[in-house]
Amino acid sequence: MIEPTDPTPAGPPEPTTPEPTTPEPAMAEHWNDLVTVALLGTDRRDPPTPPGALADLVADTARSSPSERMLAQVAAATAVRRAGILPGPALDELAVPEGDDRLPCTPAAVDRWHHITASWPVLEDEWLLTLIRNGWRIAPELLPAMLLRHRNDAVRRTRVMVGVGNAGRWLVGHLPYLEARHPNATVTPEALAELPDLPIAPELAQMLDWPGSEIAGVVGQSIESAALGQSHKPMLVNLVARIRLDALIDFADGMDSVDSTASGHGLATVLGDLATTRHRMLDELAST
Amino acid sequence: MTAAQPIATPTRWAGLGADAQSVWGSFQGSGAEPYDTMVDHGQLGFSCTCPSRKTPCKHALALLLLWVRGQIVDTRTPSNVEAWMQRRTGARNRAAGADRDAPKSADAPTDAGAQEHRSHSIAPEGAAPDSVSGESPGPTPVDGETIGDERPPPPVPPPDPDRAAARDDRVARMRAGLTELDRWLDDRIRTGLADPSLAQYSTWDSLAARLVDAQAGSLANRVRRLAGLVGATPHWHDDVLAELGILHLLARAGHRIGDLPDGLADAVATSVGWQVRQADVLAGVPDTDEWLVAGRSDVREDRIEVRRHWLRGTNSRAWALSLSFAAYQQSLDTSLPVGTSLRADLHRYPGHALRSLMGTRHGDAVNNGGVASMFAASACSIAEGCDEVGVMVAAEPWLDRVPVTIRARLARTGQTWALTDETGSLPILDLGTRAFDAGIAMLLAVSEGRPLALTIEWTPHGVIPLSIHLPDRTVDIGPRANTSFVSAA
Repeated sequence: MIEPTDPTPAGPPEPTTPEPTTPEPAMAEHWNDLVTVALLGTDRRDPPTPPGALADLVADTARSSPSERMLAQVAAATAVRRAGILPGPALDELAVPEGDDRLPCTPAAVDRWHHITASWPVLEDEWLLTLIRNGWRIAPELLPAMLLRHRNDAVRRTRVMVGVGNAGRWLVGHLPYLEARHPNATVTPEALAELPDLPIAPELAQMLDWPGSEIAGVVGQSIESAALGQSHKPMLVNLVARIRLDALIDFADGMDSVDSTASGHGLATVLGDLATTRHRMLDELAST
Repeated sequence: MTAAQPIATPTRWAGLGADAQSVWGSFQGSGAEPYDTMVDHGQLGFSCTCPSRKTPCKHALALLLLWVRGQIVDTRTPSNVEAWMQRRTGARNRAAGADRDAPKSADAPTDAGAQEHRSHSIAPEGAAPDSVSGESPGPTPVDGETIGDERPPPPVPPPDPDRAAARDDRVARMRAGLTELDRWLDDRIRTGLADPSLAQYSTWDSLAARLVDAQAGSLANRVRRLAGLVGATPHWHDDVLAELGILHLLARAGHRIGDLPDGLADAVATSVGWQVRQADVLAGVPDTDEWLVAGRSDVREDRIEVRRHWLRGTNSRAWALSLSFAAYQQSLDTSLPVGTSLRADLHRYPGHALRSLMGTRHGDAVNNGGVASMFAASACSIAEGCDEVGVMVAAEPWLDRVPVTIRARLARTGQTWALTDETGSLPILDLGTRAFDAGIAMLLAVSEGRPLALTIEWTPHGVIPLSIHLPDRTVDIGPRANTSFVSAA
């Protein structure tokens, strides 16, 4: 049984005060003087006297007007400041979240999550529940996208928090925009642990426990005879998303065999792709 | 042709005329000066003073449309059109003579179409400068024309007598543009940055348009970006003043380009806006290496999305930049996923620029765990990274994006983020967009506050994390283009 975790985010660490990055104090001071003159304009105030090194740099320029002298100084000072970039002071470390013994899911599983959320969102619940049940941890690079995606869905968001462990609350603590929209929503353990029911017509639902080849035979014939068409696609997708795991390969093979001249061949191809995707997804999330 | 239709209206043109061989007119575009367009409809040739890299440009096509519709009456041929036609006739005669007198060279161009050039342009398809200062030029869209991905190089054209004249003309225009820019900068410094007119975009845009006319597209883009700094942060006066200084530096360097060492002169020329033909770049000696795709960043510049791929040679350890561009609903380059590597010939733009064109690819970009481990092993400290950046910026002070791979962790400074290690810290640029949030969120999630090898882009206003190099893979966290604007983002 998956237990819900405390959705309350941990607070961010105390901020530290930044300090400016400057090549050297004299240059920083001179730059501030230049900015002051630039704000007022050289019609109102003359440019400052450049410090030693900068004075040498602009000394060879024959500038008559204050604005020309000012521009020369600004150009030289900017070049020196940028080329002389120095790091600011070292900053305090962020508190690190508590460790998690679970292995992060593989890069292939990460890619699969991106694929199914883009193409087969009907599989997302199963992806996450399988990951949790098989002892994987959500790969960290998926976390921001998952938290954003499920800000409004208490059940899925809680699953994400379970799947990622302490790092989830730690991240939300630092980035409040990732917080849940309804943080006080209650989630039952049953809702958390079970796949949601999908609407499947009774005549299709009876096939849920059939072998893959038999399902493919019936569905394929119906597609070829046009008894099943695009209007039935949502139900058929739900069916493939819930048939037995050991039926997926045979079903996908059966869809490959559908007459390519049939008007429903495209639908068969789509269903075959779904079955293949689901099979690969479960394979990638097999027990650690 | 679609772009030409709306401007194929006599009311948009001045001085329209035609004779038995040619048709001509002046079109008032977005710039201060009208574009003088001429078409040789007998031998098919085009000339236009607009900065578009397309040949023929929409103005030439519009002129032809007007002519075939009978909306241009025959008149006396103006002297400039006459001179242009004479040069073309002379060129044809010389080319014919050369053909008779000499055996054809194996690499001589045979494409008749290649014999036509934009008479105003040394680089018909070369990119005008863009925000990638120092990295060299990118595109400058004009009058609604857009620039797509970099295209394969056209055949190398034969010598053209128009080119010398066009080059002289262009140099003169560019020098005039630089003089005008410096005068404008002088006015800003005299009247001060508190002048309310600085808050008006038109103040900057009109200057940018004049720079486009002067064929200094790179400076024009710089000026437009500068307009976006006004009021953007509490320290905008610092940022704007520094950029004014860099513009002054480039304007002065552009005036003295003949006195500069070759490499620096090339770098200044491209940063000012001198166009370089892709064919010329690709004709240079290639830098062949196993190139690692270290990072990617997308930036919208005016109406163009610019994608930068930062590459690093496995053997040379040298950085290179590959740019791609996409206008609305066009596609960016997706052939270089971050964390992959490929063996390829890279051709650098003049002046030892970071910007390069990819020539022959000796294979596809493949996922390679070695990429991540190489970067993880070679990442330097923040202080060393500042040194690396400093060396590159000292050579070209107008650079505004420099890549570096460091090992650092994320930290907070008040409300903003920074990268830090025991040697110091660097502020992260707040892009003020969801892209920024996404990048920071990814960095935070993947690092969990621990140090990691990162490829970042240094900018004068802060650094942008582009990728995280983990022991077994690289995670792309660079700012990404909005998919509602361009595809393949």
